[in-house]
Amino acid sequence: MECCGPGYASPAEAMQAPRELLLYTIAIYTGTGIQKPDYLCTIDADPESETYSQVIHRLEMPGIGDELHHMGWNACSSCHDDSSMARKYLLVPGVRSSNIHIVDTATDPRAPRLHKVIEGTEIKARTDLSAPHTVHCLGSEIIISMLGDAKGEAPGGYLHLNKDFEIVGRWENSMGDIPFGYDFWYQPRHNVMVSSEWAAPNTFMPGFDLEEVGHLKYGRRLHLWDFEKKEPMQTMYLGEDGLIPLEVRFHHDPDSTHGFCGAALSANIIHWWKDADGAWQWEKIVDVENEPHPEWPIPVPGVISVILLSMDDRFLYLCNWLHGDIRQYNIEDPHNPVLTGQVWMGGLLGRAPEVNGVRVTGGPQMIQLSLDGSRLYVTTSLFSTWDNQFYPEIRTNGGCMLMVNCDTENGGMEIDPEFVVDFGAEPNGPSRCHETRYPGGDCTSDIWV
Amino acid sequence: MANRGGATYEVDSRRPLLDTLREQGVDLPYGCKYGGCITCAARLRAGEVDQRRQVALNNRQIAQGYVILCVARPVGDCTLDVGVDSHDVLYRNPFLDPLAPHELKADIAVTGDVAPDNASSKEA
Repeated sequence: MECCGPGYASPAEAMQAPRELLLYTIAIYTGTGIQKPDYLCTIDADPESETYSQVIHRLEMPGIGDELHHMGWNACSSCHDDSSMARKYLLVPGVRSSNIHIVDTATDPRAPRLHKVIEGTEIKARTDLSAPHTVHCLGSEIIISMLGDAKGEAPGGYLHLNKDFEIVGRWENSMGDIPFGYDFWYQPRHNVMVSSEWAAPNTFMPGFDLEEVGHLKYGRRLHLWDFEKKEPMQTMYLGEDGLIPLEVRFHHDPDSTHGFCGAALSANIIHWWKDADGAWQWEKIVDVENEPHPEWPIPVPGVISVILLSMDDRFLYLCNWLHGDIRQYNIEDPHNPVLTGQVWMGGLLGRAPEVNGVRVTGGPQMIQLSLDGSRLYVTTSLFSTWDNQFYPEIRTNGGCMLMVNCDTENGGMEIDPEFVVDFGAEPNGPSRCHETRYPGGDCTSDIWV
Repeated sequence: MANRGGATYEVDSRRPLLDTLREQGVDLPYGCKYGGCITCAARLRAGEVDQRRQVALNNRQIAQGYVILCVARPVGDCTLDVGVDSHDVLYRNPFLDPLAPHELKADIAVTGDVAPDNASSKEA
């Protein structure tokens, strides 16, 4: 459709968009010992600019202790036909505080400003929800997965905001028997939403006790929802193949039923789809082998902390946060992925302790891909308490951001030798960087209706 | 406050230590403010607190003297190490240093004569 709303008419059109010149990346001080607010960085990604690969603006949140984590837009391609909407506001939640910061990125894209804060206390009082995670716009409205109730117990639910960022209430009509929440993605042409499972905030926020997996305190299921009825319709029990299933991604192609999830602790990629008989199926398509470590009594699991699909649905990227590698798989046949690229940065296996002159503390964690599929931006911090357990040196070294050049024709990846942002050198002391978004939308933000 | 030059503060036994200390200008970390996220953990060196509302600590952390300041109320005079400086043994690699059954969080710990009481923490 020819129109003037936000985003793009199709994934193919999105791939033709101009190159991203600015990145928005959150950086945290929560849990680091530095008594400063978490903040939203603007990073210069224009290779022609004198400040390329530098933080050029920092928007501090009003208070300390939010733990900024994921974020999302007020509008995306899901309201491309609505000329009254614009991709102007970034919603930046704090997992620990439950505050949701609404940031105006349009008035001055280089220097975003705080527009509004929805206080965590208000969200808890009105909806009995806490611990905001994934933000998706839904036409002109917004839903946010909330991982806990007001006391931090699972399963939480979904917070519904209107386009003026007022609390509408709970989005879902029922959580069914879903035990945990985390990420979600919807595919409206098939009237389906999928959600995954981390754990209750009171379980994952203090840190990771491995024994709690055996006590069923962590997730191992995916849930399919009737999107219009706003209630769960089917559970896919993944069992040992799907321990701690995190990011879920449908194909960008709105006609497809195929989707993928990274099971962090099992270090597997799960693929689901609707078969010819209309039944939902799932299978394990990638199994990252545990790796031996000289100081570990057991081999180290990869811990797949994120996955992402290129806008043309040809490539799947995953990060093994503990191993230290990013992998690129060709998934043109989604049942039979082919490993086409791999790069190393940080990690516990010691394969690439230093990259572009910066000591990498942590491993590849959050990633964001350019719309054309050729540049992958990578950050190294996962979550303050989990960082402190696995990579305690991050307290003094901070996180970093690197860029990987991706061959979109034949597959293949190479770390760009020029681009590095060292969050260990931030003005207020070492901070840790997590999710990244671009002003024009990116490969994890937009859904087509 | 043992790791802040021995500074002393008068606090209210009916209110969380985080609130009364911050009101007196002590710059302390915090997150959830309901006892679930561990960000405000401090280490009790002497004294006793009532932290029945905390749900963040496992029994090993409690045995090490950690207390959750956003919900902990002092039962008497307390000596504390505060801030991330006090977190030297709070975090551990869970693959290299597993918890014994009695060291898990209170709701799943195998209770026995070795399991500490979650309701209060005492350090001599």
